[in-house]
This record gives sequence, C-alpha cells and structure tokens, in this order.
Amino acid sequence: MAILEMRDVTSGYGEVQILWGVTLALQKGQMVSLVGANGAGKTTLLRTIMGLNRPWSGQVLFEGEDVSKLPPHAKAARGLVLVPEGRQLFTNMTVQENLEMGASPKRSRADFQRNLELVFDMFPRLKDRRNQKAGTMSGGEQQMLAVARGIMASPKVLMIDELSLGLAPVLVLQLFESLKKLRDTGITVLLVEQNVKMALAVTDYAYVLSEGRIEIEGPSKAVASNPDVQKAYLGL
Amino acid sequence: MDALIRSLIDGLLLGFVYGIAAMGLTLIWGVMNVINLSHGAIIALGMFSVYLLFTALGISAYIAVAITAVLGLLFGIVIYFIAVHRVIDAPELSTLLATYAVNMIIIGVGTSIFKTSPRNVPLDLGSVHLGPAVVPTTRLIAALVAILVAAGLFLFLKYTRPGRYIRAVTDNRDAAEIVGVPSAQVLALSFGLGTMLAAVSGALIATVFPFTILSGGSYELKSFVIGVLGGLGNPVGSLFGGLILGDIESLVPLVMPTTWTPVLEFVLFVVILLVKPNGLFGGEE
Repeated sequence: MAILEMRDVTSGYGEVQILWGVTLALQKGQMVSLVGANGAGKTTLLRTIMGLNRPWSGQVLFEGEDVSKLPPHAKAARGLVLVPEGRQLFTNMTVQENLEMGASPKRSRADFQRNLELVFDMFPRLKDRRNQKAGTMSGGEQQMLAVARGIMASPKVLMIDELSLGLAPVLVLQLFESLKKLRDTGITVLLVEQNVKMALAVTDYAYVLSEGRIEIEGPSKAVASNPDVQKAYLGL
Repeated sequence: MDALIRSLIDGLLLGFVYGIAAMGLTLIWGVMNVINLSHGAIIALGMFSVYLLFTALGISAYIAVAITAVLGLLFGIVIYFIAVHRVIDAPELSTLLATYAVNMIIIGVGTSIFKTSPRNVPLDLGSVHLGPAVVPTTRLIAALVAILVAAGLFLFLKYTRPGRYIRAVTDNRDAAEIVGVPSAQVLALSFGLGTMLAAVSGALIATVFPFTILSGGSYELKSFVIGVLGGLGNPVGSLFGGLILGDIESLVPLVMPTTWTPVLEFVLFVVILLVKPNGLFGGEE
C-alpha cells in the first residue's frame, strides 16, 4: 500500500487553477523525485499535500486515510513533514530553537536527542551556530537548517522543496547521500527539484510534472532515458 | 527639585501599569496583525471586575486582581473564537470592525448596567516613602504587580512550549503550522494573553484612580501611543514606552495646565510615526 497518495487532485490560488488532476503514489521507503520546469506546479503540489492549499477536488491519502481536509499541523503530527521552498525558518529564533520547533509533533519528542545528534552529524556547521539567530546565517546554512528542522520531526514522509537551491554542488551531493541514508532507515523521501539530472540520478522513482499534470512517471533510470525528458529537461 | 523627583517617581509607577496594557495591545498586533479595538472596553471591564469583587463580594482587592487576570484570559479566548477567528485572514479592516463591534457591545451593555457614574475601589493602605517622594501604597503595589506580570510574560514567552509556539506563530505562521503547531489555538491563547494584560492593567488602575465604564477609552489611546513609542509588536519596548508616558503625564502638570498632557502625548505619537516608525526601541525592518 502506498504511504502517500494523490488521487485526481486539482488545486490553485484564488481563481487560478494550477493542478489539473494529479495522481501519484509514494511507496514506503522509496526516494521519489518530482521534477518539472519553473511554474509547472511543483510547489503548489507540495502545498496541497500539506494542506497549505486546500484541494479543490480529489483526495490526498496518507497511510491509506483521507487527509484532504486536515490542517497542516495535524498532518505534521502524523509524520507528514514539509521542508518548504524559501526555507520559511523562524528567523528571529536561534538555530537551536528552530530545531526544537521542528520537534513539535508529540511523536518526535522522545527521539529529540537522537535526532539532534543525527542532524548535527549531517550538518556540523549548525552545531557551531546553534545559538545564532537563524535569520543572520548565510543562504546555504539556512537551507541546511530547514532540512534539519524537517528531520527533527521524525518524519514518515519527508518532502523537500528545492533542496539544491542556493547550495554548493558538493554540499548538494553530500545532502543526497544523507537523504539516502534516511531512506534506508525507512523514511519515505519526496524530492522536488529543478536540477532534473541530479534528482533522477539519486532517486528510485520519478514523476515529471508539466503544466499541472503528471506527464511521465516511472523508475528514475527509465525516466532519465526517456527521449522527451532528455530533450526537454536534460538538454541532450 | 523635590517636586520634580516626586513627579518622576509617581510617573514611573503609573508607567508600569500603562506599560502592561500596551503590552497586551502590542502582543496581539505582533502575533496576528490585529489592532484590538476592544482593548479599552476590556480595560474598563477589568476595573469593574475588581470593583464588584471587592465591594459586592468583599474579596481582598489584590486577590480580585488575580481573579480578574484569569477572567481576562478566558474572556479573550472566547472573543477570539467568536469575533476574530472568522476574519483573521481577511483584510485588516475586517478585524478592526470585528473588534470594534465587540467594543460597542461591551460598552453598551456596561453602560446600561452600571450607568456612567464614577466609581472607586475604597482601598486605603496608607503611603510609603520612596526617597523624597511619598506615594500611596496602592500605587507602589500596582507598579510591583505590573512588573511581576511583565516579567512573568517574558519568562513564559521565552521558556515554555506554548510561549515558544507564540513566538513561532509571530515569526512565521505558515512555518509554525507545517512543523505541527496548531496555529488557531496559539492565536486564541495570544489574544487571551493580550486581553488578560488589558484587564489586569484596568484592575490595577482601579485600585489607584476613580473610573467609569467609559474610562477605558482614554487608556486605550495611551496604549496606542506607548505601543508606537516602544515599537508595535515589541512587548519589552512597550514597558519602556509606558514609563515614558507615565512620566510625561506626571511632569506636565508642573509646567503647564494638565489639559495639555494629551496634546503633548499625541504630538509625540505623530513625531515618532514620522521619524522612527518602528518605535524608539524598534529594531531593523
């Protein structure tokens, strides 16, 4: 059974429709990428899963249960965690406080110390800066903090919007490796990426979103060798 | 010279009480960008709460203040869910109208019950010497209670989980939701704390000055001036702003007719808005 599913979901902002019937399914323990051009609706799709945008029609299912109408905080409490685009940190709080905020869901509190060690292990820089205000850090450091805050929630599904944005390529590769390790512990990861090549190289399964519709899906390797994808996204 | 120091001390003591009222206003603004126009009415309710508990039920005045604090908190949460929550995401005019409606209801019902005749809480605890100044004990206690309340709020926001949630929602409401913070409840709690501060401030003022059901309005205006002085959304700034306003109020009568006090206060208000719109203690933006 899929851990996270969208069934024929439409959504948008105000009068403007962005998603035109999206259906997808994430299997537990998979690392999945959602790729597409700028403006394809990737961020809207994540916001709709999370409940920041209400689905206009269709259903979002988490662990087989219809969660379409739940507010975001209730989804976070169940283990559906978003690392949003633009980081959305608590800029007036310290690094440590941001991580504590990440551990707000009850199910994550018992694991607080373990998760803290895990994220400091992944991002030693954050440990050095734990008492610094988040808003005063560099873009790359803020991005690390955003991912770390997501991990603090003990996610079942971790959705990351534009992981690679503003990060040095070396660090992005490191992050992908860390995420693979997370996946190997059973966490399902959904990566939303503009860096199509990299995303397809590290994930198990991929969806290509175009103009609010899933255009192509399949194992990432197969998607990467799809001629349409190569032409449109990989510049081959 | 002595007269000056006496007025300064007098003003400082009052300033703390004004300061916590302004903290209530600015807390609500900071967390949810709502200007609470029922602020003055709730200050007046705080006054009448102490008055009734003290004169009708014979409860000790400062226990009455504590009871008023709890009532203020609960009343604010109720107001939030009845009047504010449904318009919280609407443009600011809607929340202004909603809280103004609450204000009108409270004032209307209050006037029909209590009329507008002046009341006072007959509480005489003598006076104490503070340096060259002799101040009524009630005024000193009011200031001490206000300081305690302000310190308590500060510690609550800094060190407790709900306090951290309030700061998180202030910082970024969407982000707070996605990390699992039930933001509607946090907004209600914040509104409740804001009204609690207003009610406590009113309760303390009632132990010092006479009042009517309409008195809240002038204290609400003071809260606005103080809020702007300290920087709206900055509770600590509000406390200092309160001290400044309290001193203006006590020093002006030394040099000119008392009726000039509000004129000076609002000149200051306008100047601050023009020169330093984030407040004297407002930081970056």
